[in-house]
Amino acid sequence: MIRLPATIILVAVMLLGLVTGGTAHAVRTSHAIPPDEAENEDTGLHLLREAAVAGRAREYSGTQYVMVWGASGSTSAVLEVHNVPGKGMTVRTEPSGSVQSADPGTPAGGMSSPSETMLEVLARNYRVVAAGEGHACGRPARLVNVLRGDGTVAARYWIDKAAGPVLRRELMDARGRVVNVGAFVDLALDPVIKGVVPTVPPSATGGLDLVEMPRLLAAGWRIPRALPGRLELFAARSAPAGYLYLGYSDGLSVVSVFVQPGVLDEDHLQGWHAEWRSGHTIWIRGPVGQEMIWASGGHVYTVFADAPADMVDTAVAALPHEHVPDLWTRLGRGASRLLSWVNPFG
Amino acid sequence: MSHLGERVSALVDGELNHHERDRALSHLAFCADCRAEVDAVRALKSRLRSLDGPAMPTDLTMSLLRMAEPGGPLPPRERPFPASRTFGGAPIPSMYSVAPPDNRPRSRVQGPRRPRRAGYVAVGVASAAVAIGTLFVVGGADSNPRVVPPVDMFANQHRNTAPYGGSATPTFSPTP
Ligand SMILES: [Zn+2]
Repeated sequence: MIRLPATIILVAVMLLGLVTGGTAHAVRTSHAIPPDEAENEDTGLHLLREAAVAGRAREYSGTQYVMVWGASGSTSAVLEVHNVPGKGMTVRTEPSGSVQSADPGTPAGGMSSPSETMLEVLARNYRVVAAGEGHACGRPARLVNVLRGDGTVAARYWIDKAAGPVLRRELMDARGRVVNVGAFVDLALDPVIKGVVPTVPPSATGGLDLVEMPRLLAAGWRIPRALPGRLELFAARSAPAGYLYLGYSDGLSVVSVFVQPGVLDEDHLQGWHAEWRSGHTIWIRGPVGQEMIWASGGHVYTVFADAPADMVDTAVAALPHEHVPDLWTRLGRGASRLLSWVNPFG
Repeated sequence: MSHLGERVSALVDGELNHHERDRALSHLAFCADCRAEVDAVRALKSRLRSLDGPAMPTDLTMSLLRMAEPGGPLPPRERPFPASRTFGGAPIPSMYSVAPPDNRPRSRVQGPRRPRRAGYVAVGVASAAVAIGTLFVVGGADSNPRVVPPVDMFANQHRNTAPYGGSATPTFSPTP
């Protein structure tokens, strides 16, 4: 970036202030209409449930290809996945070669084994319908479509017909474009032992993680229970490291919000680039719009997401974006001093 | 399946249909050459975006884009802002340029055009941000701590938290 002389920057800032000092609030997207209670045709929900159980209860190993598309590019990764019932899942990421244990209900584990509570939320927000049969990874599969209220497809699942895990999962944005694919391209599934019914590990029941909420509310936090896109708060936790963690999900995607008190030290944000959104600067990393940082009202917000970019953008727009209270007062004071330095005769 | 060849560009842009994408991804998982090709095309496209600016000759941009995308012709380039609203080569964002975020993936024809607009805006904003930061320090009115988010820790917590996983068995415990 070209460094402009301080006076020019100053004038630019002042002009900015004149233009944006007025209220240029982001348009808040109103909440979507709740799904029709009468239209309870979740014919595919049991398939997702069985696949979620299989994803934890069966032993398998295979190669997954994950690709994500966003507003300005795409990212991809090859994962070597190995699940052993009772021991858990390990994921080796290529080409970095890093190995970590991952829960199959997490983004790191491909979100292929959502908890029962997560599935309930999915069914509350979408219609989950069986959509025939097909193939994925060279294996016979049952197809499940996840439909929005307007009938458009929000996600597609290919579920192994031999009582195996999710073979392939695709997320679509509101325009119907595939924005996230996680697919096995190679899978070795151990045979089911006859007479042994897989049991649901206790962690798969799931639930909310909001035990800290009363304390956080008492401490003065104003925490939105939902964000646009039917993203509902499932976790709120204050960490000893001095930040607030909020987790939101619609049953398909997940958006994590981290809040720290303070002012953003923009000089030390390496690998992030600035964009002008929601009336101020937002720092974005990567081409797929899943990682953002911004400052508002004495707090720094960091968002990580596994969600369609349009959903992330709308959710982020609904979070606080104050135009820095008292900025212009402080700016005025600082500006006059800076001006006197820049121009000693002024 | 033979190497991806020309399909690499379409894959990077999300332009393959389901069947083609499926075949391409299956191939990529086992073909390091094509993965390298995907990375290279991705880097080129990213480079083209970041190169974008008033100094970049339009003809060169167009021909580079054609090289990267043999798929079809590109529409004529639009002026991102009226000349009167630029300042020192960087446009000044006005309240009228602040629209509801719309960063959904574009079709390949539109793709190279739209991010360019964001690139222009980002330059202006970055200049302003630097100045504001400076003025804060000079003003000395802010007692709030300066924060650099621990993004690796946050990313780790995000990636290892199961939505609706419950509080009984947290899958991640942050280490300060
Ligand atoms: Zn190849």
